[in-house]
Amino acid sequence: MTTLTKLRQSQFVGAVVLALLASAIWQISSGLSFVIPSPAATAEAFVQNFADPRYLRDVGETAQAVAQAFIIGILLGGAIGLLLGLSAAARTWLEPLLIAFNGVPKIVLYPVLLPVFSLSGSKIVMGVLFALFPVLINVAVGVRGIPPVYWKLGRTVQAGKWQLFVHILLPAIRLPLLTGVRLAISLAVVGVVLAEFFATRFGLGRVVLQAYSHGEYAQMVSTILLLILAAFTVSVLLWRLERRVR
Amino acid sequence: MAVGIEPSQQAPPKRLPPPRGARWRAAQRVPQGVRSAAASAVLLAVLFVLVQIGVASGALRQTGLPLPTEVVGSTLGLLGTGGFWSDFGRTCLEIGASIVAGCALGLGAGIVFWKLPLLGRVFEPYLVSFYAVPLVLFYPMMIVLVGINAGSIIILSSIMAAIPLALNTRTGLQGIRPVHLKLARTLQCNARQTLFGIAIPAAAPMIVAGLRLAVVYALIGSIAMEFTTAQNGLGYRIRYLYETFDNKTMFAYIFVVLILSVLLTVLMAMAERVLLRGRR
Repeated sequence: MTTLTKLRQSQFVGAVVLALLASAIWQISSGLSFVIPSPAATAEAFVQNFADPRYLRDVGETAQAVAQAFIIGILLGGAIGLLLGLSAAARTWLEPLLIAFNGVPKIVLYPVLLPVFSLSGSKIVMGVLFALFPVLINVAVGVRGIPPVYWKLGRTVQAGKWQLFVHILLPAIRLPLLTGVRLAISLAVVGVVLAEFFATRFGLGRVVLQAYSHGEYAQMVSTILLLILAAFTVSVLLWRLERRVR
Repeated sequence: MAVGIEPSQQAPPKRLPPPRGARWRAAQRVPQGVRSAAASAVLLAVLFVLVQIGVASGALRQTGLPLPTEVVGSTLGLLGTGGFWSDFGRTCLEIGASIVAGCALGLGAGIVFWKLPLLGRVFEPYLVSFYAVPLVLFYPMMIVLVGINAGSIIILSSIMAAIPLALNTRTGLQGIRPVHLKLARTLQCNARQTLFGIAIPAAAPMIVAGLRLAVVYALIGSIAMEFTTAQNGLGYRIRYLYETFDNKTMFAYIFVVLILSVLLTVLMAMAERVLLRGRR
């Protein structure tokens, strides 16, 4: 009985049941319509893809762009967020513009980026533009919410700038920072792949659109699932870390 | 304006934020919002002039940017063409429909997850990880299922808009102080009165923040999907003009999208202020 209630309360079990339910619906609907590949066919395409060196190259290309966009996005977002959190002048000058820019569908700027950053650089820049904002906003809000007592403590112990940053600021904003980082990873994926939908030489976004136009739906769905699974796994891991830190 | 503050800031060893209220006292007479707006207007104007000079002098030739004044001119020219209004109407329809559907869905889901915590906990990992929406990537699947039309965009954008709202609604409702619900019980409110009279107003700040996110996501989702493939719409037109090398008109369309999104952001900020009046 106790194990049963434990099972019922376990989030993991519930989430797995939900995933199984979704797959069952998928299986049934694939029987109804020929455009929906069956889960088995998709899984087959998924496995076969990894034997294909060209596909692996696309995976590598996208992974590399996402990783770069993610890292640059976090650093840049963190830096601007710190600036906004610490300086009232920066807030006055930049905050409304940044808030407005956050609401802009950044993908429309892609044609503007292309001639400046070339084909391989633009998708990284697009990923950065997507990943930047959650980190920026969370860091800025987090820094502003630090209780003044913390700063006073820092002054009392005569902490240096770097010490203030490492021992007071970072621990104080660790939660919003982690949330921002978690959102940044999925958004970096979205930014890079959307850019690849538009124009690129290699990358999974191109694979998806090509599979779509050739009618290879199993290939298309398996690639989309790969992208979603990767983003999903990383963000769930970060989310669990976030809850442990709290 | 802040000159008077600088010397006093040099006394402490580090550039620490002074206690709240002490900063910018000289400038306090002008409200922060007005100063911010003025500052951003100045920044935008400077940027405009810099780009104008850069393009005119040929320093920015590599970027392919047209003269900003030309962009403004061709945007105004666009407003007289029927093709523009059909694209604009289609995009607005998609955004509007997905805001309405997404808000209904998100609010409903948030309330259900609050009432049935087990369901909420089961869905939580999915909601949390789809929050940042690799959902746009489902678009090619949607166009296979539904077809290349406004429907597939509206469906996905609604889901994208619903997720942050559902999460925020649930978090907001969970954070209600127990005393509020006790009050409802004391007054013998029925379920509906408790929900609309007490629970939702108590959770309003979170819900309104979720609404803002929902609107932004509906806009971004709609335009990004149009940009991927569509037959009509502002996002689609930008891609089409890019592929046909019509740089000038493309920039006009990009300019329109920028203005549209800024307008939506401002509108939502105003709506937030009205909805939460008297709380802060």
